[in-house]
Amino acid sequence: MGVRMILGEALVSVRRNALMSLASTTTVAVSLFILAVFLLAAVNVDHMVKTIEGELEVRLYLSAGLDEAALEDLRALVEALEGVTEVIYVSKEEALATLRQQLGPRADLLEGIDEMNPLRDSFRVFTQGPAWIEHVAAAAAGLGGVEDVGYQRELIQRLLPLTSAIHFGGLVLVGLMVIATLFVISNTVRLTILARSEEISIMKLVGATDWFIRWPLLLEGMLLGLLGAAIAAIGAWQAYAWAVNGVYRAVSFIPVVPVLPLAWRLGLLLCGLGAVIGGLGSVLSLRRFLRT
Amino acid sequence: MIEFYDVSKSYPNGTAALHGITATIPKGEFAFVVGPSGAGKSTLVRLVYRETLPTSGYVFVNGVNVSKLRPAAVPYLRRNIGVVFQDFKLLPRKTAYENVAFAMRVVGASPKEIARRVPATLELVGLVDKGEAYPAELSGGEQQRAALARAIVNHPLVLLADEPTGNLDPATSWEIVQLLLEINRRGTTVLMATHAKAIVDAARRRVITLDHGRLVRDRQRGDYSQ
Repeated sequence: MGVRMILGEALVSVRRNALMSLASTTTVAVSLFILAVFLLAAVNVDHMVKTIEGELEVRLYLSAGLDEAALEDLRALVEALEGVTEVIYVSKEEALATLRQQLGPRADLLEGIDEMNPLRDSFRVFTQGPAWIEHVAAAAAGLGGVEDVGYQRELIQRLLPLTSAIHFGGLVLVGLMVIATLFVISNTVRLTILARSEEISIMKLVGATDWFIRWPLLLEGMLLGLLGAAIAAIGAWQAYAWAVNGVYRAVSFIPVVPVLPLAWRLGLLLCGLGAVIGGLGSVLSLRRFLRT
Repeated sequence: MIEFYDVSKSYPNGTAALHGITATIPKGEFAFVVGPSGAGKSTLVRLVYRETLPTSGYVFVNGVNVSKLRPAAVPYLRRNIGVVFQDFKLLPRKTAYENVAFAMRVVGASPKEIARRVPATLELVGLVDKGEAYPAELSGGEQQRAALARAIVNHPLVLLADEPTGNLDPATSWEIVQLLLEINRRGTTVLMATHAKAIVDAARRRVITLDHGRLVRDRQRGDYSQ
């Protein structure tokens, strides 16, 4: 039994069962599209949470009059603290410039302040995650040369349980969606095989081996899964590109994951999933017809 | 060619279909299995192509113990056995030609072989003009001829017929039986389950009579109820 013959059988049977094939492909496409929407939402929520987390920092306000060497020593000490990823020095002049920028048209409030800059030199300290911030802040407060420590205590205390809830909830939701999708697709494939039970029983009657029966149907299942997945992937891609565009225009400060290469990865994932579930669904549904 | 040794079969729900059947059908013989409905005729036929397994006893086909066959070996047993049924069991979406060719493709015959043997077989069963017709376009007798062509196209050693004339009128039935006799003359062992008395009486062949799962009579050149 050659490969060409198996492929031929699979293609012919897709064509002859056109209506059934169309119905199952559509079902696969729709369920994978829904899964894709969930995945894209989950990826973006995750991205958003990470972005917010990444912007959290500890600000160390330094005593006035530290010389270059003392500054470098202190920086080394802060960098050595557990959980610290980056330390950036901000001179009081830079801080003033930033403040001026933030005030924008009302920068005239700062008129004449340059000579007696009230701001202090500082370190911006970034950590491995929001969970480290309080720890780092406490440790840094005890260091010589650190006058004051500032961080968004309340924001962090509220954000931490929220982000872990979002992480966990997202995982559970995506997991459930994956299970539901598996179920829908394998059930669809099962129906296409049930519709062929008569043909299968006649094949067995005339002495077809189990694999002779299985191969074309396995391939057919994979083909249906792949086709459905491709449709779902293209649909999800277009829909996501449209959504990203809309978000940029309306609320540009919300961080979104760029369309590429995310769409490619998602497409590959969906196609793999569709083909594997389609093939597996075929083989498993065939078990009741085949002895082995 | 077909041997039953003390074969019994009871179904999981407790009904017993066959009790201690022992019979031998030698190579090249034509034998009827007769008896009232529920006598166990179909069960006896199914045991031969291993559609069911005996509860006890052994069934041999061409020297092979069918009851001990590995599942993976069953397809190869069936390539030596042709089967026809009362309801023909043709694939509705394939033409008569395709239905016959299907049986050859399943066993891996080359396209050249198929192109040579399918028309010859259709001619043997008298269906050479109806190759392109779908089963729904054929009469009952023609459908059974197509089924018969499918059953013999791979040159099986044994041809099983389970009530092959059950859905046919007497004249057509007789034509089908003539075909079975012709196939038998060419060397194929034929086992036909039936309760068509007229056919059995006219054919003057071996008759194995079952009643309530027991073999009650076995006559050479017998008739339905002597």
